Amino acid sequence: MDLVTVTGLSKRYGGIVALSDATFSARAGEVHALLGENGAGKSTFIQILSGAVQHDGGSILVDGQDYRPVNPDAAQARGIAAVFQELSLVPDLSVEQNIWFRHEPRTWLGTVNRAEMRRKTLALLEKYNFPALRPDQELRRLTLAERQIVEIAKGLAKDPRILILDEATSALPAREAEWLLKLTRQLAAEGRLVIFISHRMAEVRAIADRLTIFRNGATVAAHEANAVSDTEIVTQMIGRHLDRLYPERVATATDRVALRVEGLSSGSRLSGVDFALREGEVLGVGGLQGHGQRELFQALFGASRASGAVKLWGKPVSINNPRQALTGRDGIALVPEDRRGQGLLLTKSVRENLTLSVIRRFTENGLLSRQKEAALVKEMVDFLRIKAGTPEQLAGTLSGGNQQKVIFGKMLLTQARVLLLYDPTRGVDVGTKGEIFQLMRDLAAKGYAILFHSSDMPELVHVADRVMVMRDGRVAATLEGDRISEAGILRAAMLEREAA
Amino acid sequence: MSAFLARNRLIVLAYAGMVVLLLVTALFSPGFLSVSNMRSTVVLAAFVGIVALGQTFVIIGGGIDLSVPWVLNSAAIIMALLCGGQDLPLTWVMPLLLAGGAFIGLVNGVGVARFGVPPIIMTLATNVILQGLILVLTGGSPTPSAPALIQFLSVGRIGGFPVIALIWLALTLAATVLLSKAAFGRHLYALGTSATVAEFSGVPTARTTILTYVISGLTAAFAGMLLTGYSGQAYLGMGDAYLFTSIAAVAIGGASILGGSGHYLGTVAGAMVLTILTGLLPALNLSSGALLIVYGAVILLTVSIGSEAFAGLGGKLRRKEG
Repeated sequence: MDLVTVTGLSKRYGGIVALSDATFSARAGEVHALLGENGAGKSTFIQILSGAVQHDGGSILVDGQDYRPVNPDAAQARGIAAVFQELSLVPDLSVEQNIWFRHEPRTWLGTVNRAEMRRKTLALLEKYNFPALRPDQELRRLTLAERQIVEIAKGLAKDPRILILDEATSALPAREAEWLLKLTRQLAAEGRLVIFISHRMAEVRAIADRLTIFRNGATVAAHEANAVSDTEIVTQMIGRHLDRLYPERVATATDRVALRVEGLSSGSRLSGVDFALREGEVLGVGGLQGHGQRELFQALFGASRASGAVKLWGKPVSINNPRQALTGRDGIALVPEDRRGQGLLLTKSVRENLTLSVIRRFTENGLLSRQKEAALVKEMVDFLRIKAGTPEQLAGTLSGGNQQKVIFGKMLLTQARVLLLYDPTRGVDVGTKGEIFQLMRDLAAKGYAILFHSSDMPELVHVADRVMVMRDGRVAATLEGDRISEAGILRAAMLEREAA
Repeated sequence: MSAFLARNRLIVLAYAGMVVLLLVTALFSPGFLSVSNMRSTVVLAAFVGIVALGQTFVIIGGGIDLSVPWVLNSAAIIMALLCGGQDLPLTWVMPLLLAGGAFIGLVNGVGVARFGVPPIIMTLATNVILQGLILVLTGGSPTPSAPALIQFLSVGRIGGFPVIALIWLALTLAATVLLSKAAFGRHLYALGTSATVAEFSGVPTARTTILTYVISGLTAAFAGMLLTGYSGQAYLGMGDAYLFTSIAAVAIGGASILGGSGHYLGTVAGAMVLTILTGLLPALNLSSGALLIVYGAVILLTVSIGSEAFAGLGGKLRRKEG
């Protein structure tokens, strides 16, 4: 019998239909993937399942009984837990305090039983073979990836029969993502149902038993995973045939060096990076996560201190803060790692976000010219095909792909021609990913120089002209032409010595 | 304009509240809506409004300025001492004290923006230090009476309008231009919404922060001098009431106390509401103790309405992917 059966589920927010007709069924002991572009209704669907929002129409049966949780606690009482993309952790608490938050083991006095909590934490981490996590570590000291892992532990701590993972791998480096995929199989083998959302087809292929495809707020198809091709899935997701995800790679690099970096060092994470990025070139930055990629991007953008020589268009520069980085035609712009925490003012409009870095350009005698601003905003919204009701829509209410487009627009409005893209497609739907890659190639053709990091290796392989592999805060190898391959990147990233 | 109203629902609410409060007060105290009474209400509100101008900038930027009472009081007392009741010295005393207020703001701003001192601690400390300095300076003795010119600025009239109301109007225009029409305003809202995003977007975050505290120092010092003219004399403790009222006016005016939203036009309504309340409560035969209780309750109420709007937005963000 099916563990979960959903029929005709719908949800509206005011005049906006988020979910019009979702039908779904899944058995205990399977990994069930949900696929669809951002805005297709997947998130609303799992928010309903996890009790975060309540549905308007349709029905959900769990174990054959009606299920309508009024809040996440009620959902957990029925054995359903969710791990969301937007993390729910408290920065000031330790790892274990977060994992057991509001479900702490108690002593007979009603106080928190710390010894028991520690024991249960270690048991949980061991049972599921969690990557190194110290229970007493303060959460604020952890990276985004480590926090995501804590979030997963928190979900598992409730011993759920149904675990929902919302793009849980998108924040994880390759090795940890691998672990998570194994973990989902383990959970399914224990007889649990894992509902899994990912934009990475390879992952879905690796672990899903079945999959359900969403489009425009409705489910369009459900398949046994081994009975459907990638092309069919993508066609059903976007409702049309997508020719190819990656644009043709035309060599547009000139001999002119846009960015030359020599001996860039910062703390223990970055120890002497040398490279040259040319005009019209997309230079990929790969390697295992935590080998200096983040520090490299932050140092170049002036967001963290570093020593070493940096030349932009042949001129030595010293960039101490992002404002200096963004200034002028010799500037350098960044699409940051944390879209919501570093890139966007979620509670401000698309317009205000787009023009924030260049607002002075719209002033005459110190006064803002709304017409000039509106004209440029419209141009950028059209150019990037940002799907917003109006430019006044709040950035936080856009889908992930459109949020990322706003950040691109904000960057393109500056005059900087050296672009730093740190994992720009993370959590972005497949249609928008294609648009972003095309945009990158178009910009390169216009003479922009692009430094491009991605946590998804195939993107580096298919989009970059060259790939620089980092290991231990240094450039371990730079791959060109036919040598660019996933195997080549991994070899350079992991092997102690690359014969180069 | 309609877009402005839609985005600033809380400001509209503040004005609606002000009108309702006016009518209620008139009900209990029939003379309240008379021209002369409205005039004195506006004059009293102007003092709150001028102090709250700087506070509005600081709060939108994500900070708070607890040093206003003694910046105000220091300016008042030093002005009275330096002028000794004469008008002439005002020509250099006023610029000097405005510069002094700006300097205190600079110290606050640099402490917060460059040295990372939490705004509450930083401004509380300057407040106490100024209080100590003034006590040392005066030894507790009374100051000479206020110069006639400053009295004209605070209680005089031009064509039936109180001079201070005209000053307030001019300052309101200036603040509105800064917030809505200048790059500085855009930077300020970005800073208060997320300092990290602002920094990553190339906003001069430190300079913007410092400037808000400088403005606050300026307006507090200016209000101190005007208030001396109104009272006819400067005295110790005359700024104390303005700590709470300046913050309350901003909060009632619809700004989030966490920064990133609000407008001085809302604060103007907030200052009016607070002043009308002080007129209403005696009419209800409430003591000044009760007045403080109502003040506190009003703040609590408006801030919780504000945070409810915030929670609603949080809900919207959570459901972004539909």
